[in-house]
Amino acid sequence: MAKKAKSKAPAKSGKGRGAARLNDDIGEEKRLEMFQMQLEVRLLENRANDLFLQNLVKGTIHLSVGMEAVAAGCGAAMRKNDYTFCTYRGHAHTMVRGAPMTGVLGELMGRECGLLNGKGGSMHLTSVEHGAMGSYAIIGAHLPIAVGAAWSAQYRGSGQVSVCFFGDGATNIGAFHEALNMAAIWKLPVVFVCENNLYMEYTPIADVIPVEHPAADRASAYGMDQILVDGNDPDAVFRVARDAIEMARAGDGPSIIEAKTYRHLGHSRADPGTYRPPEEIEEWKKRDPIPMYRKRLLDYGVTEKTVSGIEDAVMKALDEATEEAKASPVPALELGHTEVWADGGSAWRN
Amino acid sequence: MAELTYREAVAAAIAQEMRRDENVVFLGEDVADAGGVFKTTVGLLDEFGPLRVRDTPISEQAIVGAAMGAAMTGLRPIAEIMFSDFFAVCWDIITNQIAKSRYMTNGQVALPLVIRTANGGGVRFGAQHSQSLENWAMMVPGLKVVAPSTPADIKGLLAAAIRDPDPVIFFEQKSLYGNKGEVPEGEHVDELGIAKIVRPGDDVTILALAAMVPRALEAAEILAAEDGIGANVIDVRSLVPLDTKTILAEVSRTGRVVTVEENPRLCGWGAELSSIISEECFYDLDMPIVRITTPHVPLPAADDLEDHAIPSVSRIVETIRREVD
Amino acid sequence: MPQLGETVSEGTLTIWHKSVGDEVTANEVLFEIGTDKVEMEVPAPTSGVLKEIRVDAGETVGVGTILAVIDDGSAPAAAETPAAKVAPAAAPAQPQRQSAPSRDKSLKLSPVVRKLLAENNLQPGQITGTGRDGRIKRGDVLAFLKGTPAAPAARPTPMPASSGDGRTVVPFNRRRQMTAEHMVRSKATSAHVLQAVEVDFSNVDAARKRAGSKWKAKEGFSLSYLPFIAKAVCDAIAEFPKINAHVEGENLVAFDAVNLAIAVDLDFEGLVAPVVRDAGSMAVVDLARAINDIAARARRDALGPDDFQGATYTISNNGTFGTLITAPIINQPQVAILSTDAVIKKPVAVVVDGTDAVAVRPVGVLAQSFDHRAIDGAYSAAFLRRLKDIIETREWAAAVP
Repeated sequence: MAKKAKSKAPAKSGKGRGAARLNDDIGEEKRLEMFQMQLEVRLLENRANDLFLQNLVKGTIHLSVGMEAVAAGCGAAMRKNDYTFCTYRGHAHTMVRGAPMTGVLGELMGRECGLLNGKGGSMHLTSVEHGAMGSYAIIGAHLPIAVGAAWSAQYRGSGQVSVCFFGDGATNIGAFHEALNMAAIWKLPVVFVCENNLYMEYTPIADVIPVEHPAADRASAYGMDQILVDGNDPDAVFRVARDAIEMARAGDGPSIIEAKTYRHLGHSRADPGTYRPPEEIEEWKKRDPIPMYRKRLLDYGVTEKTVSGIEDAVMKALDEATEEAKASPVPALELGHTEVWADGGSAWRN
Repeated sequence: MAELTYREAVAAAIAQEMRRDENVVFLGEDVADAGGVFKTTVGLLDEFGPLRVRDTPISEQAIVGAAMGAAMTGLRPIAEIMFSDFFAVCWDIITNQIAKSRYMTNGQVALPLVIRTANGGGVRFGAQHSQSLENWAMMVPGLKVVAPSTPADIKGLLAAAIRDPDPVIFFEQKSLYGNKGEVPEGEHVDELGIAKIVRPGDDVTILALAAMVPRALEAAEILAAEDGIGANVIDVRSLVPLDTKTILAEVSRTGRVVTVEENPRLCGWGAELSSIISEECFYDLDMPIVRITTPHVPLPAADDLEDHAIPSVSRIVETIRREVD
Repeated sequence: MPQLGETVSEGTLTIWHKSVGDEVTANEVLFEIGTDKVEMEVPAPTSGVLKEIRVDAGETVGVGTILAVIDDGSAPAAAETPAAKVAPAAAPAQPQRQSAPSRDKSLKLSPVVRKLLAENNLQPGQITGTGRDGRIKRGDVLAFLKGTPAAPAARPTPMPASSGDGRTVVPFNRRRQMTAEHMVRSKATSAHVLQAVEVDFSNVDAARKRAGSKWKAKEGFSLSYLPFIAKAVCDAIAEFPKINAHVEGENLVAFDAVNLAIAVDLDFEGLVAPVVRDAGSMAVVDLARAINDIAARARRDALGPDDFQGATYTISNNGTFGTLITAPIINQPQVAILSTDAVIKKPVAVVVDGTDAVAVRPVGVLAQSFDHRAIDGAYSAAFLRRLKDIIETREWAAAVP
């Protein structure tokens, strides 16, 4: 299994104003972690795109190119045993919890080494050992499920928090409202994170909501605060997520965060995204979170060597993971009949 | 042996399991304070407290979704859906999420949960509160399906369902809630996937489920007394897993089979059993398979209309008299 | 006139069951047609009045000829239903099987009844049905079986009642009539000569023992001597082709393929001789299956006209009757017929270490009747010697699983 790239930089560096900003409540190490997280997602998803063109990735894939900062900011704010739930656009959220690249690429390519051994596919990436409790393909379905995990944590007194990612489109479906309501009345340790990329599939979200902010302006209906954040700034996302997670962990109930961001590509691999005005796309691409964050790191005094070291290491790890996934065989046919039941089988009769 | 009603057996089973395992929790609409709209969960709040026995808002998706999330993370939840008709409101969570997550993740996810519900007609509630929907659950891979007919089976099979590591949809027939029956004292745990021969006989095998079992038994008594026909009545009890061994052996032995189903005509559980029987017992059949079902209409509300639709004792008797020679 | 076989172009209307002016019910038997091999009852296609008979009993007409007209009360055009539609248009080999169940509810046989009948070599006619409309139920077959002695001794159906004056009249049924006619004609046609050989079946017994109870468990029937004899007959015919022939006028016409007719006794209700086509290309185990199949179908009354076409040689298997020797009557227009009789343990002379000794071996007589118009005794005898040689010396055990 290809190892995760490791940062080779020492804990502190830089001088002057940059150093003060670098060593603040977030710190250099956390920042480098978030940079690496975003990079891993971006490079892997670009690679997935290439593999799709080579017909090695089948079906369709939903990429979050341009949206990595939300997953990274939240992921960095979580504990290892917290739970995450995400949508079918879930590669980023699964990877930031620590799921290995080989497993992710392998699953997209339908190979035995995939996280789900090829049985779930891109839309259902799950790694329970990392707390990534599933990617869900029915809009809104996982919100009540995330609430259930939070209920479990509260009942067991474990201090775990359930973080639930979804898009702006999900704020209109029934399950969204049922989940927020139940989380609020039972004061459950769940943080709802809405990635508002301005479009529910192909329709502008503004056309289908009666308020300005799809998630933040529904919060008050459930007794929660309006929380808006720049979804392309990992530091901003980190702070907001950290506060919400700590609040939940302390038993003070759920929050809902709306992070404004933008996807560079279409809804899915099949979608060229022509329903969006080219000027809008260009504007948002100028605010690509990764180059912006890279510049910030350098401004804060992190050396070029450190930063490019991370970039090289991630690329190397990605190349190794790609080869490993390519070399993995297709799953054995018997797997199609396994794991319907806890006994590992699928028998419905004797 | 104690005598309990069918509804009392529900609470007894849940209490038995909650005493045994602190991870068993229970949620639903009006289940705690009110003890359930059918009074099936009276006493549980008092014994186990509001953290383990929770009243929910009217939010079926949240109820079963929360059950799923809790089951994935170490608990053994029981969720109540008040009327099985309401499954339509949360069918996505049950069939797309609960039924499939273990398989899609190749075993990463565990789902030891029970969804129990009041099923069936005969009580004049009208078409949207009277359906028998065990056949809906039977046809989704990944769900276990149980439908007991007696208080003893309610207690034993609900306990078994709670202990089962897989999702179990537990259908209680509301027309049976008042029925009394003997229930073994002490801890009582039955087994899923076992059908019971509730009346031995040599002339014709009757396959029945839930509320149709007592009707089949009554019909069998009449047929024995008045027509000399010895009916062999089998309470199927568990649709998934299905006890095909017992069912096929009894059908082969008598050579004649009749199903009695509260489902509408198309795609009832008896249709599937008929298909299996005709495939595997063909050369032992002395007559075509006969299905007695509700006609393919929504259930009407008025007394006589509803009683005419759901298979009655007299319709069972007349059908068997007419078809069996 | 329906088509009774793929190659058949005409048929004989043998019996009318209704007369002109009679009321006719749909699916009721209207008339019978036949060849010398097969007879068939034909049901009325519709209800009405039999308005016109165009072909009388005993007449032979071409396939498709209109035989009669039924007035069903609708427009004249519809009433003139050509009789060719009466038999099912598809699968000419089917008619005998389908006509019985469709016209008479008492002959609706359930799967379990069919299975029990086939397993026990019974015909529906032997069982009294106590179900609705006289239907045969499973219990009826089981009751019948309880009352019969164990196989293989099949019992003939009981004689009809005596007429009270010391005589009992048993009229010839259709099949009996046809058999009588064929036998007499054959004897009048061919110059029958009988020749026989005694055959040691030790090697065949070794093979049957090797097949053992596994064979019966797997195949559902026992492996008898007949398939081995049939195989040896085909191999011997390869060396003596004039045995596998017809007499046509003043010619002997020999055939390349051996279409082997096997005479099957229908439990004392008559003989039929259905054909195993191209038996020479089959291995012993396949011959066994094929012979079992036609015998079972014959007993179930499930043979079609094609099962009787094109025979070139016939074996009459009388071994189960326990007889020593039978002089069979040639199946016209063939040139010869073989009878196989009982194989029993007999003392035989053998040579052991150069000295004569007596051993006990399974021995049976194979007797061939041949037509002396076409072949002579020397040829027939040579064939029989070769047949004996093959049966006695071949390593038959290698041919069975």
